[in-house]
Amino acid sequence: MTRSGIGLPALTLVLALLLTIVPLPEAIADWRPYWVALVLIYWHLETRHLQSLGAAFTIGLVLDLTTGTLLGRHALSLLIINFLIGRFRNRIRFFPPWQQALAIGALLFNDRIIQLWILGVVQRGWPDWGWWLPPLTGLLIWPWLFLALDATRSRRRAAR
Amino acid sequence: MSMPSPASRSAMLTGVTGTARLMFYALLAISLMALDHRGRYIDRVRAWAEQAVEPVFWAIELPFEAADQLADQLRERNWLNRRVTELEQELADNRSRLGLLDDLRFENDHLRALLEVGGRTSQRLIAAEIGSADLNPFAHRILVQRGRAHGIRPGMPVLDDQAVIGQVDRVFQGMSRVVLISDPDHALPVQVLPGGERTIAYGSGSLDLLRLTDLPMNAAVRPGDLVVTSGIGGRFPAGLPVARIDRIERPAGRAFATAEATPLARMERNRIVLILETVDESDSPVLEAEEEQTSPTSAASAPEETGR
Repeated sequence: MTRSGIGLPALTLVLALLLTIVPLPEAIADWRPYWVALVLIYWHLETRHLQSLGAAFTIGLVLDLTTGTLLGRHALSLLIINFLIGRFRNRIRFFPPWQQALAIGALLFNDRIIQLWILGVVQRGWPDWGWWLPPLTGLLIWPWLFLALDATRSRRRAAR
Repeated sequence: MSMPSPASRSAMLTGVTGTARLMFYALLAISLMALDHRGRYIDRVRAWAEQAVEPVFWAIELPFEAADQLADQLRERNWLNRRVTELEQELADNRSRLGLLDDLRFENDHLRALLEVGGRTSQRLIAAEIGSADLNPFAHRILVQRGRAHGIRPGMPVLDDQAVIGQVDRVFQGMSRVVLISDPDHALPVQVLPGGERTIAYGSGSLDLLRLTDLPMNAAVRPGDLVVTSGIGGRFPAGLPVARIDRIERPAGRAFATAEATPLARMERNRIVLILETVDESDSPVLEAEEEQTSPTSAASAPEETGR
């Protein structure tokens, strides 16, 4: 557990928020990963910085406000992600990268089911198959995101 | 959630309190969703909180604007010249048509005066560029780069060059958010031409489909009929094109027929949209040159606020 400040996690979360609404070509828009969740998972796993459920809840609310979704949807989604990560942190941390990616993928897939349930309660209609793509992208991106954030973090520490 | 991993006593303890905290926050989230979806109790809180996220939208917008400007500067001179000629031709074309329209308007005013139809409101169109930010695809919202500073108010109708797109949902300082007519929460009072049946067009959650419910069984509605706004509710002026009927169903045993329609507007594939500024006669007696007199609307009321 490192004792570095909250600055870097906050900065990466803002970046994740921007990536969430940055426009993508229509062909790959469905593949947009759940950036905020991925970044949150990283910080929780590696530094326990954003481990509290309240933090996840608040970040979720900001995400809801930014994307104009039902207030509380992403709050609940990130809340459950953070809870599950907290439960399995000790195991997931020491998985080899590919296995870790699979675990994260499963977690994100589970989150998709939860969000689908919320969507099903509040509106008619069923999302098309593109709905299930983000966990897959999340799974593929996870190892790289992990390496990138790790590198940034260690450089930060070295500079200090 | 299986057994907690090799558990020391303190870990068990945090596990227990963790579950309690999870339940607490989950209940909080669910009640927030219920409040946000059902009532409008927290609408004001939400409106206030959303003002705070405007900088995020600008952060997305700025690089795109910079790129646009760069592209403008690099654009070739002869391309621009060609474009100018094209647009001038189009302008001349439209001018001649406008002349005809002026004539019709004069005639219409005259007829209206004869009929003694009152309650006219003046309207002005504000062109607004669509922002780059890509909101959640299930939200049916778009951002436009005109806001409170440009006189936008919640509830103003939004059109493209073809038809109605939606209405202004939330206004920020320099931007506003538009809810599309395809949003499942959106209801638009419409009239089907040429039959003249009045009904409500509901969004379906998919961009190319509107649902018209509560049509009388014997309604003379056919595929291909034009759907226009009816002006009931006062938020949209009457007669703006909305959609074209695809098919109509008259299910046996039901009281009403339902129809499906395709919006005429290109929904989110526009670059520029027009916001219809409804000017109350009471507070702005001065009319501007480009002002357009359109059909009468009743006093502006708020049929349904679609903020979610």
